[in-house]
Amino acid sequence: MEKGIVFSIEEFSVYDGPGIRTTVFLKGCPLHCMWCHSPEGQSFAPEMIRSPNGCLHCDACIKKGIELTGQPQIVKESAAVCPRNLIRQAGDEYSVEELVVKLKKNAAILNASGGGVTFSGGEPLRQPRFLNACLKALDGVMHRAIQTSGFSSPRIFSEIMKNSDYFLFDLKLMDPNKHLYYCGQSNAVILENYRILAASGKEFITRIPVIPTVNDTEENLTATAAFMKENQVKKVELLPYHKLTGSKYAMTGRKYAPEFDETIPPQLHPEIFENYGIEVNVL
Amino acid sequence: MTEAVKQYLKILRDKEYRTKRVEGGFDISPLVENYEKHGLEIPVIRFQEMIKREIPILFENDPFGFHRYQKKMPTFVLKNGKESWRVLAGNITPNYARVIGQGFDRVRDEIHGYLQSADEEQTKFYHAILAHLDAITDLAERYRAEAEKQGCKALADALTRLPAQPAVTFYEACVFFTILTYSLRVCGNQHMTIGRFDQYMYPYYQHDIQSGKTEEELLETLELFFISLNFDTDIYHGIQQGDNGQSMVLGGFDRDGNSMFNELSKLCMEASLELKLIDPKINLRCGKKTPQWLFDYATKMTKQGLGFPQYCNDDIAVPGLVALGYDYEDALNYTVAACWEYIIPNCSFDVPNIQTMDFPFVINRAIHAHLADAKTFDELMQFVKQAVREECDVIIDRANNSRHVSIPFLSLLVDGCLEKGKDMTKWAAKYNCFGCHGAGIAPAADALAAIKSLVYEKQSLKKDELLAALDADFKGYSALQNELLNCPKMGNNDDFVDDIANELMAEFSGYLNKKPNNRGGFWRAGTGSAMEYVRLAKKCPATADGRNAWEPYGSSFSPAITTKLEGPLSVIQSFTKFDMTKIINGGPLTLEVHDSVFRNEEGEKKVAQLVRAFIELGGHQLQLNSINRDTLLDAQAHPEKYPNLIVRVWGWSGYFCELDPEYQNHIIKRTEFSV
Repeated sequence: MEKGIVFSIEEFSVYDGPGIRTTVFLKGCPLHCMWCHSPEGQSFAPEMIRSPNGCLHCDACIKKGIELTGQPQIVKESAAVCPRNLIRQAGDEYSVEELVVKLKKNAAILNASGGGVTFSGGEPLRQPRFLNACLKALDGVMHRAIQTSGFSSPRIFSEIMKNSDYFLFDLKLMDPNKHLYYCGQSNAVILENYRILAASGKEFITRIPVIPTVNDTEENLTATAAFMKENQVKKVELLPYHKLTGSKYAMTGRKYAPEFDETIPPQLHPEIFENYGIEVNVL
Repeated sequence: MTEAVKQYLKILRDKEYRTKRVEGGFDISPLVENYEKHGLEIPVIRFQEMIKREIPILFENDPFGFHRYQKKMPTFVLKNGKESWRVLAGNITPNYARVIGQGFDRVRDEIHGYLQSADEEQTKFYHAILAHLDAITDLAERYRAEAEKQGCKALADALTRLPAQPAVTFYEACVFFTILTYSLRVCGNQHMTIGRFDQYMYPYYQHDIQSGKTEEELLETLELFFISLNFDTDIYHGIQQGDNGQSMVLGGFDRDGNSMFNELSKLCMEASLELKLIDPKINLRCGKKTPQWLFDYATKMTKQGLGFPQYCNDDIAVPGLVALGYDYEDALNYTVAACWEYIIPNCSFDVPNIQTMDFPFVINRAIHAHLADAKTFDELMQFVKQAVREECDVIIDRANNSRHVSIPFLSLLVDGCLEKGKDMTKWAAKYNCFGCHGAGIAPAADALAAIKSLVYEKQSLKKDELLAALDADFKGYSALQNELLNCPKMGNNDDFVDDIANELMAEFSGYLNKKPNNRGGFWRAGTGSAMEYVRLAKKCPATADGRNAWEPYGSSFSPAITTKLEGPLSVIQSFTKFDMTKIINGGPLTLEVHDSVFRNEEGEKKVAQLVRAFIELGGHQLQLNSINRDTLLDAQAHPEKYPNLIVRVWGWSGYFCELDPEYQNHIIKRTEFSV
């Protein structure tokens, strides 16, 4: 049986597709976007995270790390010594069956609202066998959506597409070099998958995280709109950058140091899309 | 919002009106000739003397008046130097509509009719009411004169007829209501709820529409009235500022299942949305038949962050109340008390909050006494259930000792008293029941689940080790505490613990429900906690769910605040597994959702769908709060920046910055694992 690594399961996610949804976050991502808001989703390996809310700063967790490894770090065993129970492992192994059983418990509510499950990440397409097996097991059980960067081989992308009902597809940057610089990979395969998706007739929504000075230029947004029009896409969702983005870095022991100035409000330019006949929704 | 509304709102917000008051509280002892404990003399003298000293306070174009001049009630000192008990009845929805529709003249006629054949006791009672009516009439006349002098034309005009004549217009009905509630408070009554305003005021609304008034004009009147409810609430609050009992219940269904949500109900919601004030506190009666648009609309209120509306499920409440022993018509007409206790308006003197079953404490005590002897978990549960039953007996005994001072004016507004010539404190109302809260059901079930899992199933925890850890408040046992905190918790849709909670509720309600009280009424078990989730919790030592000593429970029917929740879908399923018709005294599930879900209409609609899901699952009551942890923390640090930040506390909404820090902290703590 296939196993997957899940770093979080969120009930009642309201912006991850139609209706009330449960979002399953699969761990590991081939991209490294400078503005990534779930740093705990980047690595494929399980890691320990500490919620900052309510922390007594007693350092019991760190002391445990020193005791066991000689390093001032949070280790697996730290979870059991936190008096506030604030430490958890991000990255639990799930079998397809375990995950499906869990999701089915909420199926009635999800279905009644016209919702279902959304697989997100990290990059869900990076665990293709597990994802596909889950999607097949949920066929006819609930509506299945995929939230993706689009970064995967077209063969895998097409296979996943066949077994799902809806896509939320990010178009971050049109310039391949800039994409490489800010996201760690070129966008060639992303654009190719986008064309496949648009041509398939599958229901999907295009999303753009609008990052100040990075991709909110007229040049990039015009190129995006033109590309969408070329693929006959008529709707886009803009997700303006929020300053809270960096809030999860501390709890994973990472530093958030974007090169762009996050105090500048992102420029949304809805008119650019409207000029291309694309309806804009801002989240 | 019209100019008049803005102006009245400004007067309220400036709080300058409070500077016009005097302290009051003078001693009426020398005036009392024939002191009789719980008798009628004290209430009458106190009311007369208080009203006599009230001075009309009116602001520019004041549409309602009847603001309090004296802050304190008169005092009465007994011969032994003790001050006489001043707490009267509360959590009652009086029959305002009857008196508003009659006028004092007809009430007096009715009383004079009864006096023809009254005995001595009855005669005293009737004269006490007449004395109240005379005092109010006198003050109303002084208000009329002052209103005329100051150019408050509408009010002066209304007071030429009121309160002697019945109200005719919607505005007059609201003025009459103001006179009645003002008078009730001068009597010392607290937590007089507004009840089904949209039903009993509907004839006046219709009258105005038929005589050519527009909806906008009525909205203005309604908004002015709503603003007036927010004056003087600093004088008559309960435990905390904001806890003043002005709950309004909208909608519901009639006996044929038709919706009673009417144009006035909608207007009330509109007014509340526009004004963003903590009073009146909006409750919405709903059920499976409630149309989705109404949930959508109500969610706009939740979005505002006032904690309104609180949802009550007719499909559960009505059959639950009937099963307890209320007549069907009365059950259909239910309202809620100051917080959420289901009460019957007009004809009851129920005390729905007379006692509290402190589940974590009672169960913790049973665990300490019997864990060593219990060979199996089932055996332990038998001991626990016995402890619940024994506590019920203690509760019944304690409640039987409570007494009330006579409250003749409120009795006028409770059906049955006038006809019988008897004060409601002599049980002249149709219903005289007792309600018992059930605080901390979730942490109590969690504690038992942890024991079931670690002590009996995995056998990884020794009984004496657990007891020692509890005695030490987990000092030196942090690994064990952590393990207990990670056992199955109610709220995560896990039958392992939810089944235990159901057993506790079944035992509590099965034993207590319908037991007779000493007033001819019966007992009703509930799921509420009122302030006890803080107050009683402060006396409860460490518990086996991993909770430290003296730490609070969740408010009312909610997960423990230390529970890592899977999310709201699991929570609503956990808290609807029990047949809630069987435990219907009241006490809502409280759900916090992060305010980011309200970013657009799509998110709002999904929140509304969540509410529907809860109702369809058979939940009995729901409080839904929109919360942003960062805002709350900032408000705690910089209260001056957030004078109007409103939060839901335990059964009512209050200004965050006016709450005691422990209640502020509880709300912040609730957001730690919230979604």
